[in-house]
Amino acid sequence: MTTGLGATMVRAGRRLLSSLPALFGVLVFTFLLMRVLPGDPAVFFASGPNAGKEEIELIRKQMGLDKSVPEQLVFYLSDIGHGNLGRSMMTGQPVLKDLRERLPASLELTFTALLIALIAAVPLGVIAALRPGSVVDHGVRLFCALGVCVPTFVSGLLLIYVFYYLLGLAPDPTGRIDVFTSLPPQRTGFLSIDFLLAGDFEGWWAACKQLILPAVSMALFVIAPLARITRASMLVSLGSDFVRTARSVGLSWRKVVVTYALRNAILPVITIAGIVFSTMLGANVLVEKVFSWPGVASYALDALLSSDYAPVQGFVLLMASLFVLVNLVVDICYGIADPRVSIE
Amino acid sequence: MRFVSFRPATSILATAALLLITTAPSQAQTRAETLRYVTGASVNTLDPNIPGSTRESFALSMSTYDRLVAFGRKQLNGKWVFDLDTITGELAESYEVSPDGLKLTFRLRKDAKFQDGSPVTAEDVKWSLDRCVTAPILGKAQLLTGSLTSADQFKVIDPLTIEVTLPKPDKLALPNLATVYPMIINSKVAKEHATADDPWATAWLKEHTAGSGAYVVETFKPGEQVILKRDEAWNRGSANKPAFFKRVIVQSVPEPATRANLVERGDADLVLDLQASDVQSLEGKGKLKVISTPQYNAITFVSMNNQIPPFDNVNVRRAIAYALPYDDMFKAALFGRGSPLFGANWADGKPANGIYPFQQPVKLDLDKAREYLKAAGLPEGFSTTFSFNVGQASTAEPMAALVKESLGKIGIKVDIQKLPDAQMSTQINEKKLPFYTEGIVAWLPSTDYFYRNFYTGNQRWNYSSINNPDLAAIAQEARFEPDKSKYEEAGRKLNAMHYDLMPQIMLWQPNQDAVMAPSVEGYTYEFHRQVDYRDVSRK
Repeated sequence: MTTGLGATMVRAGRRLLSSLPALFGVLVFTFLLMRVLPGDPAVFFASGPNAGKEEIELIRKQMGLDKSVPEQLVFYLSDIGHGNLGRSMMTGQPVLKDLRERLPASLELTFTALLIALIAAVPLGVIAALRPGSVVDHGVRLFCALGVCVPTFVSGLLLIYVFYYLLGLAPDPTGRIDVFTSLPPQRTGFLSIDFLLAGDFEGWWAACKQLILPAVSMALFVIAPLARITRASMLVSLGSDFVRTARSVGLSWRKVVVTYALRNAILPVITIAGIVFSTMLGANVLVEKVFSWPGVASYALDALLSSDYAPVQGFVLLMASLFVLVNLVVDICYGIADPRVSIE
Repeated sequence: MRFVSFRPATSILATAALLLITTAPSQAQTRAETLRYVTGASVNTLDPNIPGSTRESFALSMSTYDRLVAFGRKQLNGKWVFDLDTITGELAESYEVSPDGLKLTFRLRKDAKFQDGSPVTAEDVKWSLDRCVTAPILGKAQLLTGSLTSADQFKVIDPLTIEVTLPKPDKLALPNLATVYPMIINSKVAKEHATADDPWATAWLKEHTAGSGAYVVETFKPGEQVILKRDEAWNRGSANKPAFFKRVIVQSVPEPATRANLVERGDADLVLDLQASDVQSLEGKGKLKVISTPQYNAITFVSMNNQIPPFDNVNVRRAIAYALPYDDMFKAALFGRGSPLFGANWADGKPANGIYPFQQPVKLDLDKAREYLKAAGLPEGFSTTFSFNVGQASTAEPMAALVKESLGKIGIKVDIQKLPDAQMSTQINEKKLPFYTEGIVAWLPSTDYFYRNFYTGNQRWNYSSINNPDLAAIAQEARFEPDKSKYEEAGRKLNAMHYDLMPQIMLWQPNQDAVMAPSVEGYTYEFHRQVDYRDVSRK
């Protein structure tokens, strides 16, 4: 077992190293892309009454835009090397600080949504695969199609309308916590964990309640790919020789389906879950907007609309790094789910 | 469109069950003393002078800092609005304008204290005003409009008296001191955080306050929310009392539908900037207080670049002015919520007064439009683009569609161009857009101020790029005109020229719709178009 784990770690390290050039590429590409986009951020930010040429020049200087693009790139790369992602014009804060404050919010939301999606999708996929072509299968297919075709902000607004506005069951859909609740000391940045660590169960409930609606509206959107993949790989798995053998030797239905078929079918689901997770993190911008969730995606969108370079660049770098990390985690999960994968 | 019943019954039930158990009782006691104000914008700096500061930051600074003077308020059609003509003392107990208009003397209140307990002195006032005209901040350009340009103009007479001298008697000098930027800062605290590179402590003041205002910043999360705590020692409110609310929560909620839901459910006390349709439906339900004030210092217009053909031809501009479907646009964009600036009836063909903005005698008249097009030598029409920015899409999009349709009838082919905000402002600044819609606002809405800032010079706010020496001369002269009737005459002339030249077409003044809980009182429309938290109280 130690050799298997060791091999996995070596593979992980190698993967991490080999992704560095890709990250560098992303860095330079985003930098250049921001510069060729139309729209001068200095003009945008100097939009107050009476802001004239002088103010525009001032802002340009503050943002370092008075230098040539290659010079800017060199400065930018050296800043990144020093762990400085620049300053956001929008919030007036260093981008690193903004991202550090906002990333836990996005991660907490995305993890919860993914968890909800997996809990719903895997059983749905499995029951669909057990009775292919049946009413149940069609029902699941219909549900998936609906989930994927309704944009998250529509389902978000609908959920708010029903559960907050009409029924009054949900707390008001603004942010991570009721404004009147005092926050726990920050440890992980995940409110649901921090409240537990602080032993404040009332606060924990409040944070969880706030999470449910946005997480459900995000989950609805990604149940489809997860359920479809589960179904497909379950079908393959159920039709394979070992399952037939397992059935023929009279193993229990439960053992056959869960231990043999599902365990073998779960690999592609893990892959897809990894990809779904990374996309969700960036794509949940609409949910973050609808629920005033202080996450990184809505932050990046606001920055993009106002051509605030530093936050957009910081966000893309963050997403790229996360993508690398998620892939790594998927790799490791692979190794655990199927030890053969670690053998090279 | 999917309906709720299609979702998995389990997850709905689970959600509902979770929520049912946990619907918390509202914290009634703290709620009554707290104002929860939700807005689409966000506070991004505690010093409004920082380039890039938002309107929310302006409003915040009004409550965290005091100025020497403040605008009074008056009733306009039964609604409270700020009054440009009444200037009352804020930190100044009294002020005096010398007979020649060149000297303003302010006597400070003896009891005024900064939030750290130290008294407000004339030294602090001088440092703050010096900062405003010297540091590379937004206040500089604003105070310029009131002939306040150099630190030499501010003189400390004694610890409680400060004197401001002017090169020329300027009617906008005093009102300028009541605007957002010349806030009075605790100079001792600020100086402690100044550095050699940043002698005016701009970096520190962006994230900290050192003021004497009615509220102290408790927590500040840029882009999310600010929580303010009442300064109990502050006594510059009505009847020399502190502000009403113990706490103020200023929260950013980007989605307008959510803001509307929040106030309707009673979770928010006060909301601005809702969609016109939401305001209308909330008003119809009659459960909330809706105060709609025409933004009498703001204008929405259609602008044409007077330097780019064919809009350099006055007849083309006139043709457009008679081809816009004003009534339909007004209804589609604003649901009629605002004051129209079209469709006036000038009996003798002259403007009724010298006030800007004014109602122009234009209306949809396609025959007249065709005549003007013919006079311009373009009887067959032409092609152009009509631009607006994404941020204004909810009102500009329906408007643009109507413009396109109506101009199509007289042969003008319009392509609608929807631009991201930064791109739009860049193109406006570079004078590249031929035909577009924009809005303007002036803090000190006097006729000459509008004309000087928005109709002269080669600067960004001259949206139409009009270059008319006569107009510029009259506006410039009017600035220092002490005689009221002569000033009025100059205003009439300018308005007549506006109609004649038609550099851009004024459409309307949109309403500022403030929706609030029925218990909230005292809301006043302020020059910065945000809520002044000191104005409001709860019954």
